Amino acid sequence: MIMTIESIDRQKHPVLIDQMFRMRAEVFSSRLGWEVSVNDGRETDRFDDEDPLYLMSVNDETGVLRGAVRLLPTTGPYMLRDVFSVLVPGGAPESPLIWESSRFAINPRVFSVAERAEANHIVHKTTLELLCGIVEVCRSAGIDHVVSVFDARMARIFRAADCPYEVIGTPTRIGKTMTYAGVFEMTDTMRSRLGAVGDLPSTVLAGPSRQPEEGLAERHVA
Amino acid sequence: MKLIENNNLVNSLCEITNAATSAALNAVMASLASRHGVRSAAYLGAGMSGASNREPYLAVTYSPNWVEHYKDRGYVKIDPVIQTGMRRLLPLDWDEFGKLEGALKTFFGEAAEFGLGRRGLTIPVHGRRGDRALFSVTSDLSEREWEQEKIEYMRDFQLLAVHLHDKVLELEGEPVLRAKLTPRELECLQWISDGKTAWECSVILGLSEHTVRCYLESCRYKLNASSNTHAVSIAYQTGLFSQIV
Repeated sequence: MIMTIESIDRQKHPVLIDQMFRMRAEVFSSRLGWEVSVNDGRETDRFDDEDPLYLMSVNDETGVLRGAVRLLPTTGPYMLRDVFSVLVPGGAPESPLIWESSRFAINPRVFSVAERAEANHIVHKTTLELLCGIVEVCRSAGIDHVVSVFDARMARIFRAADCPYEVIGTPTRIGKTMTYAGVFEMTDTMRSRLGAVGDLPSTVLAGPSRQPEEGLAERHVA
Repeated sequence: MKLIENNNLVNSLCEITNAATSAALNAVMASLASRHGVRSAAYLGAGMSGASNREPYLAVTYSPNWVEHYKDRGYVKIDPVIQTGMRRLLPLDWDEFGKLEGALKTFFGEAAEFGLGRRGLTIPVHGRRGDRALFSVTSDLSEREWEQEKIEYMRDFQLLAVHLHDKVLELEGEPVLRAKLTPRELECLQWISDGKTAWECSVILGLSEHTVRCYLESCRYKLNASSNTHAVSIAYQTGLFSQIV
């Protein structure tokens, strides 16, 4: 199940949000060795202050975070233009109909306990669920394209998920890894294709009723 | 049918571009509402000029009585559209507020009395410098029709929202400096100007058709164009094509 969490609703999901920032520290700093800023075991950056939308893959039964991704509009501050401009020497795309996905991560905790074959399956399934979630959310918002910055490792994951993309700009070695900017189509065709690979034919998004608040009883804005 | 819809969008975007004053923009809001078949249209911009204490910019088709009543009652403090919309990315369907109670029930009840539609949709806009805006439309369609129309017109509303916001920034003396076209974007536009389709461009350039469409979408936005044809004509006028050898 994919939960979509807006900035305004962060305080309703304190545990999930915290799990996500810890997971990002573990994945991007500890495992991949990216130069990201980690404070108190949590990785955040300035784009988390821009009211992005988070998609979180959550285990329906246990409520444990399996993976997450962040979406930002390209009309506001975003990573490809404002951080990774070296990848697009001619300039970055910009439009109300183009969003950016970033900080795509699968929680190492959910597969570290499992058998290797089972672990691979969880990673694959979670990846596809997040990708399906991105397409569904974008379709609902009228967004036609998503751009993203990713490394060779992510490129392999996209290929394994049969998720097509096209590289834009100039791939560049940043630190130890080749880094790419790619564009993904947010179409029904893309959704069907990912759904077929991941065996996820119907919506992955949690409806409002299946998106319970944590802790206290529901509170209304008033 | 599709062609007529696209013309609606093109006409509205052109009107927004041509609005030279706040008064003109208010008139544009009214014609935009009637053209797109919605009961009301409203733009609210905040965080411009970096002056957070400044009054938000308002361009609405609401009756002045409603605006006055809204201000008198201090409704901005409870208006869930503004309270949540400014910190959202996804379009906000007012049906999400669920069954209304107490002050909110009164608020939306009064809004309906002053002529707002029963259903509403708000598109959040994220600007480059922390500026934000909300573009809202209301409607009296049935739930089923609304669900359909909403999806059908979502792209148009997204485009209208950002174009309105950029126009307001311009009227407020802080025009958005749109980025230059990238070589690839310019190349796609050049082939369009030669009469090629997006598919033909994709074959010529060895890209997927989808990627060509993405480049063209970015071209239209950066040139403040309402269509590919418009983008081509702007490119000619500003001498962009002469840069290509």
